[in-house]
Amino acid sequence: MITFERFTLENGLKVIFHKDVTTPMAVVNTLYDVGARDESEDKTGFAHLFEHLMFGGSVNIPEFDTPLQLAGGENNAFTSNDITNYYNVLPVNNIETALWLESDRMLSLAFTPKSLEVQRAVVIEEFKQRYLNQPYGDVWLELRPLVYKEHPYKWATIGKELSHIENATMEDVKAFFKKHYCPSNAILSIAGNLELVDVKSKVEKWFGDIPGGKKTVRSLPKEPKQTEFREKIIERDVPTDAFYYAFRMVDRLHPDYFVADTLSDSLGRDKSSRLYIRLKKELDLVSDINAYITGSNDEGLFMISGKLNDGVTFKQLDDALTEELEKIKNDLIPKEELDRIMIKIRTSRTFEEQGLLSRAMNLATNELLGDANKINEEDAEYKKINSEAILRVANNILQKSNCSLLKVKANSND
Amino acid sequence: MTNRSEQPGLVPIEKIDFIAPIQYEIAKGVYLYHMKDVPNETSRFDLYFDAGKCHGDKGISAFTNGLLLSGTDKQNSVEINESINALGGFLESGISVENSVVSMYCLRENLSAIFDILLDSIENVAFIEKEVTQLLSERKQKLKISEEKVSYLAQKAFRKKLFSTNDFYASSLEEKDFDNITIDAIKAFHKKHYLNGLTKIVIVGDIEESIIHQIINRAKKIVSTSTGTFDGSLKNEIGRTDILKEGAIQSAIRVGRTLFNKNHEDYLDFLVLNTIIGDYFGSRLMTNIREDKGYTYGIGSMIAELNETGYFLIATEVGVEVKEDTLKEIRFELEKLQNELVPEDELQLVKNYMLGQLLKSADGPYAMTDLFLSVELHGHDLDFYNEALKSVKSITPERIRELAQRYFKWDEMSIVTAG
Repeated sequence: MITFERFTLENGLKVIFHKDVTTPMAVVNTLYDVGARDESEDKTGFAHLFEHLMFGGSVNIPEFDTPLQLAGGENNAFTSNDITNYYNVLPVNNIETALWLESDRMLSLAFTPKSLEVQRAVVIEEFKQRYLNQPYGDVWLELRPLVYKEHPYKWATIGKELSHIENATMEDVKAFFKKHYCPSNAILSIAGNLELVDVKSKVEKWFGDIPGGKKTVRSLPKEPKQTEFREKIIERDVPTDAFYYAFRMVDRLHPDYFVADTLSDSLGRDKSSRLYIRLKKELDLVSDINAYITGSNDEGLFMISGKLNDGVTFKQLDDALTEELEKIKNDLIPKEELDRIMIKIRTSRTFEEQGLLSRAMNLATNELLGDANKINEEDAEYKKINSEAILRVANNILQKSNCSLLKVKANSND
Repeated sequence: MTNRSEQPGLVPIEKIDFIAPIQYEIAKGVYLYHMKDVPNETSRFDLYFDAGKCHGDKGISAFTNGLLLSGTDKQNSVEINESINALGGFLESGISVENSVVSMYCLRENLSAIFDILLDSIENVAFIEKEVTQLLSERKQKLKISEEKVSYLAQKAFRKKLFSTNDFYASSLEEKDFDNITIDAIKAFHKKHYLNGLTKIVIVGDIEESIIHQIINRAKKIVSTSTGTFDGSLKNEIGRTDILKEGAIQSAIRVGRTLFNKNHEDYLDFLVLNTIIGDYFGSRLMTNIREDKGYTYGIGSMIAELNETGYFLIATEVGVEVKEDTLKEIRFELEKLQNELVPEDELQLVKNYMLGQLLKSADGPYAMTDLFLSVELHGHDLDFYNEALKSVKSITPERIRELAQRYFKWDEMSIVTAG
């Protein structure tokens, strides 16, 4: 149970406060309700590039990092297809420095040409390091447009291509800030050994006078129901063949979301999961196989991916995989197996709840979904799940006509 | 109006509470450390074995570690994994140059049962041929994938130069190792380094003392009887090596040298120098090579410690076209610290940052345990960190320059690029 208090400033900024008396540290986490899904198709990668620019100085403070380090703190940020999230971890006695810094860059950025020029170069190197210069690094760049034809999940957070980042202009940057970076589009989550009144007055002091801005209303194209199996084969200089089965699944708020998560655990979370035992240990077809969900807010993906053993064909894999999927669609999973999955879920959730930062972050992401308290209801959601629900959801998701398959074939040049 | 142009007042960190785990002796020189004060249901245990790479190269230490849960005469690997998973256990296992560590994360109510399963599996592992073959083919594929990464190629070549005086420390897995390994050799390694190789147990979690004693009794059988012999005279090979990787669009760079560990008188002050050059976001290397020139997504430095020695390392990946420029800038920054005094305000910032980070690394039972283990390895207690606090607070720009002059000489570095 993560306890918290919640209040909203007049300018629309939502604030969550979680008290923890056991730690000398504090977390200031700011979530902006903007991600790669909010970009236009000819300017992709922008939400992420913008995240970098948020460290290039704000209207009254030349540099973000230096004062925070002086306060003994550190920070980072990430961008996903759904959100952009910034966090600071610092000694609780110095929390005001983090509020000062975060509020100033919410007020306005410095928009220096040098910052744009350098961060463009940095992001291009990030693009190369993570997506282009790694074996299998470009898989998601290929897979997304295969699955999504309308919804902006069709491009990756880093962007569709380097040129979109290279061509970003200062006007683009300013317009993006104006549209998405304002109190009414943000959730501030604070955690540490503090008193509510103190948190309220400090937040009011630093964030209260920032103009609220307009909450952007999101209207994204809905991805039409998939009706036919899709397949794409790419050849790359990689040592071994790899496969990525992507099945469409429900959105984050759908009641079946946690059932799908549990189904993926049954198929491929660990070394006692079905696909690992059958396809790897018994049939020797793969060196590695996993099943997982992408966890996105809009309709996401249920993934089965792995690598083939030498000499095994994609067809052999597909036949064996289909057979396993038929089993889970036709026969109820035994109670013993469900118990095993549930204790692992409970254990990993207990570990996750231990970290101050993950508590602050989870409260913010759940508040974005409508209610921070959803985080405390997840245990009950999982407890409700029975074998019948898993069977039903397996039949909804694991249909061939609902699947896109990306095959990475190794160039046989060695 | 709120004054936004001035930073709010700062409270300096005066004191940090360090809490040591309870110590139990399992056998002579072999201890169990128990961090009991955990305010939730989580727990962890680690088993340390004297089974690192320095005791057997050509892959044998890695393969043996990878096979620890591969089945006994009574249970196959699937059954073992099922019984651990049925108790919600998350296993982490791996080797380093000088160690093999098997860790388990679970709820405290299941710790004792999982410990028994794990120990039984390790003691009675049968090294069934099919399991060995599967592991080898999996690892061979992983190696091939790693060899497509410039970071791996650079790290491998760097290790070879860094530990040039000791083949076991310097070696990396090679494709031919997979053909030469035998089950008999693995069995012999297991017998020597696992069945008689336990050097330490660590438990974090609110576990009853009676269970701790049961664990101690169970573990007595496999304790290490020899005192580990580790190389204290490793010396890096000076100079540069370039590894060609066709088609790479980034080059990985490694620059570094053998150095020392916590037992050296310059260690604590060197930590400050290391932070200044490359161990935080505002470091000299990040500021110059990322934030000014945009050559890289990231660059950093670290000091790594071994039982009897240690080393210093700078690592980055940059666009292939700026590889030489990056090396030039790294050298420039190393030499600048030898020639110029660090400005007072920069030093103050680094001091504050380091103290904040030390506070954070002492936050919570898991972090505190890791902090303890890092001094225990070198025969210190937690008082070491009170010394660190003092030393960070009092270090001068002159002392930093002196250390840079002693340890940052470009012509004493090993330099590797791959790309």
